[in-house]
Amino acid sequence: MRNLIAPLALILLGVALFFLFPYNLAFATRIVIMVILVLSLDLVLGYAGIPTLGQGAMYGAGAYAAGLFAIHIWADPFAGLIAGALAGAILALISGFVLMRASGLTLIMLTIAVASICHEIANRARGVTGGADGLRGIRMDPVFGIFEFDFIGVTGYWYTFGVAALVFAFLVILVRSPFGLGLRGIHESPDRMMAIGAPVYWRRLAAYVVGGAIAGIAGALTAQISQLVSLETFAFALSAEAMIMLILGGMGRLYGAAIGTVVFMWVHHTAAANDPFNWLFVIGAMVLAVVFFLPSGLISLPAAVTRLIKGGRNGGA
Amino acid sequence: MKLKNAVALGVTLSAVVTGAAFADTIRVGVIAPFSGPFALYGTQYEQAIAAYQAKHGTSVGEHEIEFIFRDSGGINPDLSRSLAQELLIRDQVDYLAGFTFTPNALAVAPLITQSETPTVIFNAATSSINRDSEFFLRTSFTLWQVSAPIADWAYDQGIRTVITTVADYGPGIDAENGFTAAFEARGGEVIDAVRMPLSTTDFTPFLQSVRAAEPDAVFVFVPGGPTTFAYTRTYNENGLREAGIEFLGTAETEESNLQALGDAAIGLNTAYHYSAAHDSDMNREFLAAIAEMDDPAAVNWASVGAYDGVHLIYEMIEAAGSDGPAAVEHALGLEWESPRGPLVMDPESRTVIQNVYHRVVQRNEETGLLENFETGIIATVGDLGWDQ
Repeated sequence: MRNLIAPLALILLGVALFFLFPYNLAFATRIVIMVILVLSLDLVLGYAGIPTLGQGAMYGAGAYAAGLFAIHIWADPFAGLIAGALAGAILALISGFVLMRASGLTLIMLTIAVASICHEIANRARGVTGGADGLRGIRMDPVFGIFEFDFIGVTGYWYTFGVAALVFAFLVILVRSPFGLGLRGIHESPDRMMAIGAPVYWRRLAAYVVGGAIAGIAGALTAQISQLVSLETFAFALSAEAMIMLILGGMGRLYGAAIGTVVFMWVHHTAAANDPFNWLFVIGAMVLAVVFFLPSGLISLPAAVTRLIKGGRNGGA
Repeated sequence: MKLKNAVALGVTLSAVVTGAAFADTIRVGVIAPFSGPFALYGTQYEQAIAAYQAKHGTSVGEHEIEFIFRDSGGINPDLSRSLAQELLIRDQVDYLAGFTFTPNALAVAPLITQSETPTVIFNAATSSINRDSEFFLRTSFTLWQVSAPIADWAYDQGIRTVITTVADYGPGIDAENGFTAAFEARGGEVIDAVRMPLSTTDFTPFLQSVRAAEPDAVFVFVPGGPTTFAYTRTYNENGLREAGIEFLGTAETEESNLQALGDAAIGLNTAYHYSAAHDSDMNREFLAAIAEMDDPAAVNWASVGAYDGVHLIYEMIEAAGSDGPAAVEHALGLEWESPRGPLVMDPESRTVIQNVYHRVVQRNEETGLLENFETGIIATVGDLGWDQ
């Protein structure tokens, strides 16, 4: 039973978001999409220990693929998700062949480079991608052929939420499978895993490809919901922000990724709406405080509080 | 029970009374960058709006007008779209305004069409935006609108061969196309079209090759800030000026950067629709109003785009209140006097028809500051890129 509490809480959080923000479902939808992107980063960075600042490359590839697929081939949302996932996976596979041979700072630099190259390709290929103006004209068919994407964003929200729940469930299973445990082993000591005969390179590549596919799904959702894809999907700032959300929530913890994203985006939104001029201070202070007081992220807050209380008692005695 | 009833009655009554005492409030949502590297735009919009309200009041007819600001950061169409959705659904705005970047404006097109919300673009300058929704109205300019007139001016000065050097992104390519089409239509020749990386600040190789090719002039479009600064300096240092290769630009000498460019900028030719040095009482009054603000931002085209945008919104509210289609109908063909000169809202392209001036940078002897001195009107044109 205990295993069910956390997933139920997460689903409740999703439902709560719907009722908390009945007038800005568009914002709630952006949060959920970002959760998916941060989850993909968590798999790659938190579990497999592959440092990357270029997760935006797969996100952007997924967005453009889904956008182009909807315009030229078929406007079904789920088919578009598959197109986005494939694009993300293929890009991760091709770049991963090279990237997974590097490590540390070199690897970070290379992941940034991949995203920049994608950005430039999309910029140059104006005829296909619309260049700096963005890819326009995406009109999606109804979900399951029944639910039209409406103005307020009710369909968009539940559709995105459903996809996010599936991705989350998939990841929960994946990280507990032998494959996922293998990734943790590689994260902690690649040499030891090599010594016991695990194919470290291929495992890391596989994790990168799966992460790429999930980032591609997040990108595809963005394209379908906002009906526009811009060059900024490849932007460095997006990859960096995703990493901040992950660190905020707690790396290597799926729930941490979800919580970090929700908290970051909610604070960001509230602060920016209340004071559009100085809100960056609030964000900066929050990130500093969390990194300083809770190095393992917000997910470790209950444990930290427990420790504090117990420590207090011991101190008194 | 009696007490409860009395309270309920009181609440109802006061609601009725306040409703009658104050006319309705019409809200205008402004989506613009208020943080990050482009925050200057947001400040300029905000100050221009405040300047307009200081002069014309916060109400028009029966309607109180309230502006709600939302920060879009940089280029971020997803955020722009969700902010617009929130403004329309939760804050019940009847008008949208702002929009510095083309993708951010394009992202809201389906929303404003569905909700019939007139949306006034203060800056975003790609011609094609207005095709996406008939509720877009633009009080800034388009790249074609300013880069074609400079080609005309150049030809009239006897310039026959030009090399174009533009930053390799959407607006740069728009500017290149606009210039080339106009220049070739007159009989001039564009010998070479150079596209430079967007973020480069090293223009030496490009400008040396321009110098070697010895055209009569070089046309440039680079984004504001450090790139403009580096370009003009390189133009001087590599001897293009001594070689007699004229500088033809548009926004390169805009006011927020101009003083930093220093003497290197003196003599540069540009064609543009607004100079803070525009000689009119209305412009002087506008500058004075901005100067009274706390921490006034430099006044340039973005400020005047917002100022005229607010004027247009006031006009629309006066004529049509919150009725979107009627408001747009009223705006089409509207004529008014702006700090930049006379304006007409073109009924077809929904971008203002305005004077494009030839300017040359010189030092004002009274203030000692650099300014874009307007030598004359090259053309009075609407969006020349509309039919392209």
